[in-house]
Amino acid sequence: MKGIRKSLAVLASVAAVLTVAAPASSQQLKSTEDVRTALRLLVQVSNDFKRQITNKNFARVPHEYMEYTEAADALRSSVKDEPADFKAKVETRLKAAVAAYQKVSDMSAKETDVDKLMAEHTKAVTAMNAVFDLFPAALRPDPNLPPPGRGGRRG
Amino acid sequence: MLSRRRLLLGLLTVPFTLAGCGRDRKREQPQVVDLFIESDGDFLAFYPDSLTCPSGAHVRLMFHHGGKFLSARHNWVLVRPGQMEAVDKDVEHNEGIIPKDDKRVIADTPMCDKGVTVMTEFTAPEPGDYPFFCSTPGHGECMNGILHVTA
Repeated sequence: MKGIRKSLAVLASVAAVLTVAAPASSQQLKSTEDVRTALRLLVQVSNDFKRQITNKNFARVPHEYMEYTEAADALRSSVKDEPADFKAKVETRLKAAVAAYQKVSDMSAKETDVDKLMAEHTKAVTAMNAVFDLFPAALRPDPNLPPPGRGGRRG
Repeated sequence: MLSRRRLLLGLLTVPFTLAGCGRDRKREQPQVVDLFIESDGDFLAFYPDSLTCPSGAHVRLMFHHGGKFLSARHNWVLVRPGQMEAVDKDVEHNEGIIPKDDKRVIADTPMCDKGVTVMTEFTAPEPGDYPFFCSTPGHGECMNGILHVTA
C-alpha cells in the first residue's frame, strides 16, 4: 500500500512538472513558425550588438537595443494564444533579458572599453538563453550559426 | 517641271529616310532589364542573393524591404569588385548613407523602412561579378550578394 502511494506521488509530481513546463513540444505551440522567427530575430539583434561593440560603433548600440525590444514584442505576439502560466513565464524571463540588453546600451553611452561592454553583453546572452530554455529545442536558434543568406564577406 | 518632279521625288523619300533613322535609333537603344530583390523578411539577408543581367543593359532594380517587426532600415548598393568592405567601412559612421560622388559605387537605392519598395536605374557595367550589400552599419557583413554581368 505504501509502495503504491509512493508511486502515485511520483507520477503526480511528474505530471505537475510536465504541466508547468508546457508547452514542451513544438506541436503544442499554436504559432510554431512565428515563435521560431521571433527567437531567430532575438539572436540576430544580439549578434548585431556584438558587431557594433567590436567595431567600436558605440553610437549604434542604442539603436540595436530598440530593435531588441521590437524582437521581444515579436516573441510576445507569437505566444499570445498560449496558456496564461506559460506566457507569464516567458514574460518574466523576457523582461530580464530586455533589461540586460538595456544595461549594455546604457553602458555604451559612456564606456568605450570593448572588453567591459562584451562582458556585459555575455550576461545579456545568458538572460536571453533563459528565455530560449522555455521553448522546445527544435525551435531554438543556434547562436553560432551564420544568419540566413550568404552571411559572408565578398568582393 | 523637272524641278517639281524632283521636289515630289524628294518628298516621297522623306518618310523612308525617317523610318530608316527610326530603325537605327531603335537598334541603338540598350536592352531594358527589370530586376527585383527584397530583404528576407526581418533577417539580414537578400532574397535572392544573386542576380544576373547582360552588360550594357539599362537595369531598373526594385528593392523591397520585407521586414515586419524590426525598425532596421535597408538599402541596396552595387559596387565595383573588391570595394564592398571599404565602402561599407567608410559610411559606417554616417548611418550608411552613400555619398553621390563615390566612384566605387555603381548604383544604390535610398534607405527604406519596412514594407517600402524603392528603385534605382543604372547601366550594367562590363562583364564580371559585382558585389552588392546593405550599407546600414553592421548589415553588410551578412546582407550581401552578387550581380553577375554577362557578356
